[in-house]
Amino acid sequence: MSDTYGLIRYAQTKHLAFTEVAEGLEDGKFHFSAKDNLCADGFQARAGSAVLDGYSPPFDATCIGRMKGSGGQLVGKTTMDEFGFGTFSTNSAHGVPLNPFDRERSCGGSSGGAGAAACLIPGHIALGVSTGGSISGPASFCGVVGLTPTYGRVSRYGLIDYGNSLDKVGLLSRSASLVARHFRTMAGPDPKDPTSCAQPALAGKGRMPSSLAVPREALQNLDPSVRSSFQEALGKLKGMGMEVHEVSMGSLRFALPAYYILATSEASTNLARYCGMRFGRREEKFDQHFNDFFTGVRSEGFGDEAKRRILLGTFCRMVGFRSRYYLKSLAVRQLLIEEYRKVFRDHDAVVTPTMPFVSPRFEEIGRMKPLEMYGADVLTVPPNLTGMPHISVPCAYVAGLPVGMQMVADHWKELDLLEAASAWENVFEYRFPEVSL
Amino acid sequence: MERETIARVAKVARLNLTEEEMERYANDLDDILNSFSVLDEAPAGESYSFNPIPVIDVLREDEPAQDIDPQALKAQMGTYEGYVRGPRLS
Amino acid sequence: MKIGLEMHFQLPTRSKLFCSCPTAPAEPNHNVCPVCLGYPGSRPALNRKALEAGLSIARFLDCKIEERVWFSRKTYFYPDLPKNFQITQYESPLGTDGHFDLNGRRIGIWRVHLEEDPGRIKRVGRSGEEIAFVDYNRSGIPLVEIVTAPDLTSPEEARALIDQLVTELRSLCGLEAQDEQTVRVDANLSVGEERVEVKNVQGLRNLEKALRFEANRQSKLLAAGKKVVRETRRFDEERKVTTSAREKETEEDYGYIGEPDLGEFRIGEMARNLELKETPLARAKRLVASFGIGEATAKQLVLTSHSLTDLFEELCLHVPPERAVSWTTGPISGNWAVLQDQAKWPDIVRIVKDDSEGLINDTEAKRRILSLAGVQQEAAVEGGDGLGKLISDFIDEHPEVLADYRKNPKAANTVIGHVMKESKGRYSSREVVEGVRKELEKRV
Ligand SMILES: [Zn+2]
Repeated sequence: MSDTYGLIRYAQTKHLAFTEVAEGLEDGKFHFSAKDNLCADGFQARAGSAVLDGYSPPFDATCIGRMKGSGGQLVGKTTMDEFGFGTFSTNSAHGVPLNPFDRERSCGGSSGGAGAAACLIPGHIALGVSTGGSISGPASFCGVVGLTPTYGRVSRYGLIDYGNSLDKVGLLSRSASLVARHFRTMAGPDPKDPTSCAQPALAGKGRMPSSLAVPREALQNLDPSVRSSFQEALGKLKGMGMEVHEVSMGSLRFALPAYYILATSEASTNLARYCGMRFGRREEKFDQHFNDFFTGVRSEGFGDEAKRRILLGTFCRMVGFRSRYYLKSLAVRQLLIEEYRKVFRDHDAVVTPTMPFVSPRFEEIGRMKPLEMYGADVLTVPPNLTGMPHISVPCAYVAGLPVGMQMVADHWKELDLLEAASAWENVFEYRFPEVSL
Repeated sequence: MERETIARVAKVARLNLTEEEMERYANDLDDILNSFSVLDEAPAGESYSFNPIPVIDVLREDEPAQDIDPQALKAQMGTYEGYVRGPRLS
Repeated sequence: MKIGLEMHFQLPTRSKLFCSCPTAPAEPNHNVCPVCLGYPGSRPALNRKALEAGLSIARFLDCKIEERVWFSRKTYFYPDLPKNFQITQYESPLGTDGHFDLNGRRIGIWRVHLEEDPGRIKRVGRSGEEIAFVDYNRSGIPLVEIVTAPDLTSPEEARALIDQLVTELRSLCGLEAQDEQTVRVDANLSVGEERVEVKNVQGLRNLEKALRFEANRQSKLLAAGKKVVRETRRFDEERKVTTSAREKETEEDYGYIGEPDLGEFRIGEMARNLELKETPLARAKRLVASFGIGEATAKQLVLTSHSLTDLFEELCLHVPPERAVSWTTGPISGNWAVLQDQAKWPDIVRIVKDDSEGLINDTEAKRRILSLAGVQQEAAVEGGDGLGKLISDFIDEHPEVLADYRKNPKAANTVIGHVMKESKGRYSSREVVEGVRKELEKRV
């Protein structure tokens, strides 16, 4: 037990995986952590933003309540990009998590701290949240299993919103079986989140996928090492008895813009509430006009990427631009859902690499323009936009760094993905960094 | 993107931008929106919905209940005689 | 003159629109929770009763009702708005293209939708520099917004519309009596070509005053050959004038998006399955048509009580309508507190029938009715003086009623209501109405 706590402290101090940790471990409980945008009684919930400094919600997110109820102890809150706005967890006001395999590199984002914690602490379950790939990305860069359930499968009550039609609570861990067990704990309807009340009951057992589709369009612009690793992994999947077919999904090219428009449109309204009056960073200059008061707090409290996304989202829903961007993106999402459905008529899952490259160095990230960063989400965005469940598993190591493979299934079929991920663990051995305390 | 446009967006969003920020964000948004113009090639959909899954008729019964003590919530906010203090109105 | 109204009424629910906080009055910021304070991590869930009440109103106003609706976020920044966006309905209201018959004239209803109320601001400090003290108890209170076509032709008519609408909605879905004072209205009014919007007027009296002032202002401008500027104005309750609202309030870009936390509602089916109560004015209209009684009598009946009207209709099955009228508005309504017991109705019907068929005379019939009510006739006679005293005492104690009565004869209703309540049904409504009118006229 004390070893585990030592590892938690190690992940916190050496890899900045946590913003806060519990004082010690309780006997007889399993340990789990939560991304800092999930509210938990007794911890701050700052979602990586300075504008939320001091916010201590007096309630538990439903997912956290359910984990506690099944015998879990919340041992800490994990670092993240501000409000989930990022692919590398570099947009954080509370520390940038460092990759467990190489501290010069990113953990991925936005659930970067969760990825690092899941990798560094055996038996640990890290609750992450994905809007456009924030579970798959860190799972890929940190070499762990990351499940993003169907939209609406796990209650969002207690989750600090990024994009309400996109956000999903999921899990990261070293093994698929651990993820499967706790996924069952968290799933299920919750009257406090109406969108969780539309789900069918979870089946007893998943069905092993037998036919996989690889969209041709998804294999463009991959780093050569990722491409060859992925080809090799496909070979292993065939060896497991699965059929692999190349398919075409022409609408995938619309996914990234539609996603960024919907996500930022929703985000820019969600973030309107941060104005210094009621929670988090509070201001006392009441002699200012309310517009100046609000503007002052917001301009100081939000980071660079948050401002960029607020501006983009505000623009996309303004009179004159709304139908070209916002409404069009809603229609495109519907189009993509239909395109996935067509593929799922003949195949059980869509498989691609998770990220187009292995974890980059921070100095490389520093040189990227915003649009390049957004482009890194090209493979994780389509299932996220359409609310399809997906799982990322390690499928290769390139120069000591993990490469992730992502499988997407139709709505509500998480258990099929978990079957595949469990079977994958029998043909591919995961590696984790040696830690000496 | 016109300076006027970015200034207006920032005002609507209640963000104060320096000249440098104004220019940088205008350039970024230009890049981003240019690449997004691929959307114009997407067929105009007939229907849209606000969620990726159907969420229909989820309603709550009209029963009053408060499971969190309002005092705990008030403690988070700056109050005076029970009122939440706010800035000037005019 | 053309006037259109956007009226906001509070719907009669026990909990708020999107959270289960109580709607009952309380200390400031006591009826609050993470949802209605907009706390990060909270989310809304729609109150079924509010949706049903809104749908009954849309159906009552004969609106076109779509099969599916959703909610929208209207984003603007103000200290009383916890999320800095209001959840309302934009592209998809509950109903559109309905109408309301106002004294025989058809007033168009453009739309009916649901939305949440913001908090209430107490302005503190020197005039012009007031800061906001906010009470979020009202945040999330369910409102229905009803928008009329600009079919109203005078401030009086605007007032009459709300007056009658409130009466109807009160019995349709239990809208509270106080709503004549708490109704919040945005009105647009044009005397000439250009229309002016007067925003955020609270209560019926203020509305009539605001509209009178605005009509007058526009008429004077036009008479002087000047132009009316299209703008938004606000009503200053203290000075009783409308003033130009500052520019910033009109240039806000609400940037509407759909609210993804609530999903969609298939209201077509829900609306068709609702059973609508017959409202007082609609019932009065039916009584006039079916029984040939006078409109005033019909209104008097339905406004006294629904069940008294039920008894009236029951009597009409056995006796001519004019006999039913004179008995129900006479001795029966005078002792309604006791006679509303439906177990006594068969006896009442028999007595009135016997009287009508000449088997007994009027005096005997009245004696039997009164004894059914447990009243000795002597006491009832003596009651005449008691009534006069009740009326004059009340008017003595409330001189403002007399002042109001000079301007608007409807003020008599305050006295009538009080006396009916105090006398607990000892006198018939006809006796009370006549008594009050006589006394007020005497003093005016
Ligand atoms: Zn509440």
